[in-house]
Amino acid sequence: MTPKLSLRQLSKVYPGSEVAAVDRIDLDVQPGETLALLGSSGCGKSTTLNMIVGLEQPSSGDIQIDGQSIVATPAGKRNVGLVFQDYAVFTSMSVRQNLAFGLSVKGRPKAEIARAVAETAELLGMRDKLDARAQDLGGSELQRVAIGRTLVTRPSLLLLDEPLSNLETAARLAMRRELRRLQKEIGLTIVYVTHDQIEALSLADRIAVMSAGKIRQVEAATRIMDNPAHVFVASFLGDPPMTLIRGKVGGGVFRADGFALPLGDIPEGIVTLGLRPQALRLVAPGEGALTGRLSQVEPRGAEAALTLDCAGKAIRLLVPAQTRPVPGETCGLSIPEGALVAFDGDTNLRLPGAPHVAEAAR
Amino acid sequence: MSDSAQIAPMHSGPATGAAALAPPPPAHPPAPRAPRARKPALRFLTLPGNVISLLVLVVPLLVALYMSFTDWSPTGGSLLEASFVGLENYAELLVYDTRFVEAVGRTLFLAVVCLSLEFTLGLGLAVIFLREFRGKSMLFSAFLTPMMILPVVVGYTFWMLFQSNGPVNQLLGALIGMQNVPEWFRSAPFAMLAVIVTEVWHWTPLFFLILLSGLNAVPENPVRAAMILGASPRQIFFRVVLPMLKPVIVVAFVIRGMEILKLFDEVFMLTRGGPGSSTETISLYIYKLAFNDFQLAYGAAGAFLVLIGTLIVINLMLLPVRDQLVKGKA
Repeated sequence: MTPKLSLRQLSKVYPGSEVAAVDRIDLDVQPGETLALLGSSGCGKSTTLNMIVGLEQPSSGDIQIDGQSIVATPAGKRNVGLVFQDYAVFTSMSVRQNLAFGLSVKGRPKAEIARAVAETAELLGMRDKLDARAQDLGGSELQRVAIGRTLVTRPSLLLLDEPLSNLETAARLAMRRELRRLQKEIGLTIVYVTHDQIEALSLADRIAVMSAGKIRQVEAATRIMDNPAHVFVASFLGDPPMTLIRGKVGGGVFRADGFALPLGDIPEGIVTLGLRPQALRLVAPGEGALTGRLSQVEPRGAEAALTLDCAGKAIRLLVPAQTRPVPGETCGLSIPEGALVAFDGDTNLRLPGAPHVAEAAR
Repeated sequence: MSDSAQIAPMHSGPATGAAALAPPPPAHPPAPRAPRARKPALRFLTLPGNVISLLVLVVPLLVALYMSFTDWSPTGGSLLEASFVGLENYAELLVYDTRFVEAVGRTLFLAVVCLSLEFTLGLGLAVIFLREFRGKSMLFSAFLTPMMILPVVVGYTFWMLFQSNGPVNQLLGALIGMQNVPEWFRSAPFAMLAVIVTEVWHWTPLFFLILLSGLNAVPENPVRAAMILGASPRQIFFRVVLPMLKPVIVVAFVIRGMEILKLFDEVFMLTRGGPGSSTETISLYIYKLAFNDFQLAYGAAGAFLVLIGTLIVINLMLLPVRDQLVKGKA
């Protein structure tokens, strides 16, 4: 199957800058798929989006839609829709005029425009709002208009820039459901850009995590949390994210400053060890692989996020709220199978194998 | 500008989350009411200012209003002894004084022609100034200079330029080989043209400045959105950018409209309203009535008619953006 969207060695270097904003990225998005480009601000995700839609020209590399390169095609002719974070609705127009804009500037017949606008309004549940002035609308309505304005032109690909971050919580949940429904109903291929992992996890089929202009990992949203392929992904995903400790393995023992942990199934040399907060268990002092002092307790409703000081390393873990941990308490930390991940110290890539705490220390 | 005002509340995130469900709490708890009501001493301090403005603004206005209902003339004794004639002056002006009615029509004609030209030229220049080019900063200062010059000086300068053997005519002769160069101030249409050229030269910079700042404040994303939707640069300009500039454009027209309805200095310096009364504006005619003919009462009535007319015209111009400006809603 030809991917809907393909990025091939796509790069963007801004004039006067030595660092590439986007650095030779490769990405395929399948038809009907929803993909999230996830990363913190400045990671190059918005630049990538702007290149796909045609607001910026790539320095090198290729962008293909349905196998055809669109790099030379001007922004208005790529048939790619973009919904801006601030919606960028035309406030001087009515909702109807906003929805009609894309077709009307192309000189389509009035009847066709009216039909397309009516269809889209129906789809977005805005039929009774068509004659409202855009400047009188609220946040989630503005977003509907922005999405509708794009859908009317039947784009082959829909790009959304931080679609939910400008909405208040209630509207955000509603819009999240709405976007999911829309995506299913019209089978659109969607690429989101977001810095919010919850947004990415809840909306996307697959997530591409970006940092420093590179794509670090592309993985199904359901799997990426448990299978970080790169140290950055491990440090970025999860709330709290994995605890990452850089150290050296020698003679079956992982050491970092004063911290030591005997491990099995791990290569010798410099590694970064990741500990999953959800998998770790609090036990009585003396039991478990590590012992430390609880330095922070952050209640979060049904669970609590703890920080445990173990030989100078702050290890984060999540426990059920009923545990009622007390700050300052000395606790043991049990590290079950599957709680550990190891990354290569040089490449920052995930090491094969399933590191686990050696029997002697359990 | 419109967008930011729309979206600003959304940025405040969870804090406004409840606003959709419950009536928002007042942004500021009612502050203890300031001393105004309680300390008469403070009010007392503004008294001299109030008295002065009463004496120099309100009293003369009322005197002039009363005067306009009399047949007073400075040569005829006290205003109190002048006979009250009711609306006679007003009726005379509107019904029988063709020179007044013509001056009103002429002023409106000048307003329409000059403002249209100034707007078009100012907008064109402002659009050019959105791009980068060599010497932009110097040209910017140069383009703004005309409006800083005193109207009297502008009028005098252009009076010199339009002399029958002046620079304008010499240029016309040299550049396009015109044989019978016009006598600018001896023919009604050419005198009018000279007034229009002077006025447009003088005040296009104001439109340029206001429109340029408006254009620079247009949010980028709606323009980009229109681009992605396939609009041509022309369509983007006329359908997206200009409508967003509407309040700015209206304000520019209102400011200039008030000025040009009172047009006096340049015309006085250029033509004195001549030849005949063919370039006479309302202000000039009223000035002549009052200070050449000493018909102060009659002139005052004319001035009040102009004030009423101006109020109506300006408020009509403001009508399309009044809501937006008054309620502060973009």
